[in-house]
Amino acid sequence: MTSGERASYIGKIVVGLALYIGLLMLMHTQLKGFYLGVMILFGINAIVCLGVSITNSYTNIFSLGFGGIMLIAAYTTSLLTLPVRYKAQFLHLPLWLENAQWPFVPALISAGVVAVLSSVVLVLPAFRLRGHYFILASIGINIVMTNIGINFRAWTHGPFGVRNIPFYTNVWWVYGILLLTILFIVRLMHSKFGRAFVAIGKDQTLAVVLGVNVVQYKIYSFIIGSFIVGIGGALWVHHIGSMHPHVFELVFVFQVIAMLAIGGPGTISGAILGAAIITFFTQLARPVQEGFSLFGLEIPPLIGLIQVLIAMMIIIVMIYRPQGLLGRYEITWQTFRDAITAVFRNTKNQTSTG
Amino acid sequence: MLLSIKNVTTGYEKAQVLKDITLDVEAKEIVALVGANGAGKTTTLQCISGVIKPWVGSVSLGERDLAPFAPYQIVAMGISYCPEGRDVFANLSVYENLRIGAYLIRDAKEFRDRLDRVYSLFPRLQQRLNQLSGSLSGGEQQMLAIARALMTNPDLLLLDEPSLGLAPILVESIYNTIQEINAAGKAILLVEQNVGLALEVSSRGYVLEKGEIRLSGPSPELQDSDYVKASYLGIA
Amino acid sequence: MGLYLVQQLINAFSYGSILGLLAVGYTMIYGILGLINFAHGEIFMIGAFVCYFLVTLYHVPWVIAALAAVAASTVSGLLLEKIVYRPCVKRKAPVLTVFIASFGVSLLLRFLFMMFFTDRRRAFPIPELFEKMYFVGEIAIGLRDIIIFVSTIIIMALVAVFIKYTKVGTAMRGVAYDAKTAELMGINSIKVIVVAFAVGSALAGVSAIEYGLTFGILNPAMGFIPGLEGFIAAVLGGIGNVPGAMIGGFLIGGGEILFVALLPPSLSPLRPLFVWALLFVILFVKPTGLFRPNVKFEGLWGE
Repeated sequence: MTSGERASYIGKIVVGLALYIGLLMLMHTQLKGFYLGVMILFGINAIVCLGVSITNSYTNIFSLGFGGIMLIAAYTTSLLTLPVRYKAQFLHLPLWLENAQWPFVPALISAGVVAVLSSVVLVLPAFRLRGHYFILASIGINIVMTNIGINFRAWTHGPFGVRNIPFYTNVWWVYGILLLTILFIVRLMHSKFGRAFVAIGKDQTLAVVLGVNVVQYKIYSFIIGSFIVGIGGALWVHHIGSMHPHVFELVFVFQVIAMLAIGGPGTISGAILGAAIITFFTQLARPVQEGFSLFGLEIPPLIGLIQVLIAMMIIIVMIYRPQGLLGRYEITWQTFRDAITAVFRNTKNQTSTG
Repeated sequence: MLLSIKNVTTGYEKAQVLKDITLDVEAKEIVALVGANGAGKTTTLQCISGVIKPWVGSVSLGERDLAPFAPYQIVAMGISYCPEGRDVFANLSVYENLRIGAYLIRDAKEFRDRLDRVYSLFPRLQQRLNQLSGSLSGGEQQMLAIARALMTNPDLLLLDEPSLGLAPILVESIYNTIQEINAAGKAILLVEQNVGLALEVSSRGYVLEKGEIRLSGPSPELQDSDYVKASYLGIA
Repeated sequence: MGLYLVQQLINAFSYGSILGLLAVGYTMIYGILGLINFAHGEIFMIGAFVCYFLVTLYHVPWVIAALAAVAASTVSGLLLEKIVYRPCVKRKAPVLTVFIASFGVSLLLRFLFMMFFTDRRRAFPIPELFEKMYFVGEIAIGLRDIIIFVSTIIIMALVAVFIKYTKVGTAMRGVAYDAKTAELMGINSIKVIVVAFAVGSALAGVSAIEYGLTFGILNPAMGFIPGLEGFIAAVLGGIGNVPGAMIGGFLIGGGEILFVALLPPSLSPLRPLFVWALLFVILFVKPTGLFRPNVKFEGLWGE
């Protein structure tokens, strides 16, 4: 890179960062309550989507087990950060765990690490299985984990779940981590890891023939995806403040799959777009679900309407646009540049012909 | 004229394979379609049977243009395609394969008659009726594939490389059977890489190269042609 | 203890019947289309609801309601095939896409019913006839259990005969193996697919009636677990293999009941784990299932 190019490159980064921080500050100060919550949820869902997309989309390992992984990660961070009094009262933990009062960052990272470890232990053995057998096994992991969550009362307080989890999550954490995740994935995809992932995703047999150590890279993709997803789960728990075994069940898993499928499975912008669509729709449609009055008509609460509509969306997208809204297209700086030049070209045409 | 292909250009997805080919088959004759690997022979047969459609030009059976019809409808009209690679239903027995071949037959007696005719052409199959077709030898599978195609009682039989991968004795046997089938009144469009064999057995032939018809004419003429002799028969 | 076990054995047969029918439906549809019809459990649920509403709201005689329920399941399955799956097949959609779509249909139906009928549990109508008990020594056998088991066996036998000996059944097996070649025999593979869906869905309807009779309750989420277990049974039996699915159903269903029976009561919430543990064990020992699968390519992606 010439020094001129380098200068403009740094310049772009600085401007981008400044804009980003500015946006976050705006969110932090202007949004309150409900809308702030929606934005935080969007951020978390985006992180989870990105994590899942590495394993499911890039490497094409269609695993549905991330619900179980997130459950473990969420409980990990909960147990490490719950007030000692609460733990003493409701749970039966080993002493070191009961007295643990970890700050946010170590707890977060532990959640990620535990997510990785559990995914290695749980999902890796299933790698021997092909195709739909693997999917079945990954569904099983979710169900088994939920079941353990319900029954392992000493550590999880059973179906009642745990409460009083400290509210560590805020806009800065979520969007900071989101930015890091995006940058990480961009870097990753341009490295030999990324190339291997895509090769495996496109044609596994071909990748083997070309000398890619498929098993090894599948494991990497799994580990990376699980770590990110675990972080997402931890962020979630510290936002909501409570956790119970049914949080990351199959319905949630399906929502994430829907986000990826609708947005476009193979791209960063697709994952984020999908997360945006589903999150905003779900949250903003909630009042409708609870019943409201329209022009004097009393519309009763329709619990489940949101899920029905999301399911319909996903079915329509799968039939008519299976590659997702963005398909293979990735939104980059180039997109904005093209958009801007397109706008200028149009206005120029109008004035010249006018 | 039984089958007539007029100026057909076609291919798969975006890849063009055939360019402006014209070919026809009269009732009760054996026509050879020969050429090297990748020339487009299988594509031609797939176009006739309806698996792919012509981009330009037409494929007609008698007066009827076959373009609007799906493969299963074209079978009902009297064209039966025996694909290369001996695609038998490996999970079914010999008898069941033949049963499926006769799917369109409603009349029990007609079914029995066709079965008998097939048994007389391929006695080996009758001996192995209940055997899983996946466990048959290559030659037997080829016989089964042809027999299965005959169960639809076609007017025109499309055979794709029946000699592929078979020992010479089996090839001879199969070719004898092919002539018997023709003698019983069926037209055959025979696709082969083994040019000499195909021209021996057929009355007319077409030479396909890179998707275009390079030569055509009565088979004896093609056999005598210097070009064919040099390029395909290995005779200088 | 022995008595209790024998008593539970009877329940094992009932639950095995229920799962077996579901498994056969799954395996037929997977065999033909390579499609895991996630919504199969919901087709099951629809049958139960139709029977319930016909009896409780419209006072239709139970037998008629049961038959109507089977018909309703069949129709639901056919509609599903026509509206969702056929467009996917026509567009040559990759298997994952169809899989996600079927997942979507499952959730859509479940939450649709939840929306209209709430998820409270309702009591499935059971005619008095079914409450009759027979006693062999100290063991109580309900007429209900006998009817369920016997009718399931008869139905399964009919299905097996259909698959093996009829023209359409053989065509189904051919299409399941290689649809393109089957088309070259004059078989309209779409018609065959429709038949597979009709039969599979009808079986789900019957299974729903049996479930209602056995457990006495219904709610919109009722199809999820039996559906999943039915799918596991189908996988166990070799995917696409109808007799295998039947046996798989009995193994899973019966096994689960007996497992719970043998377990001390404090551990009984672990019941669903049995099924999954069994699945994992089987998949590691024999990944293709107990019996031979009936498809050319066993993996979802033609592996």
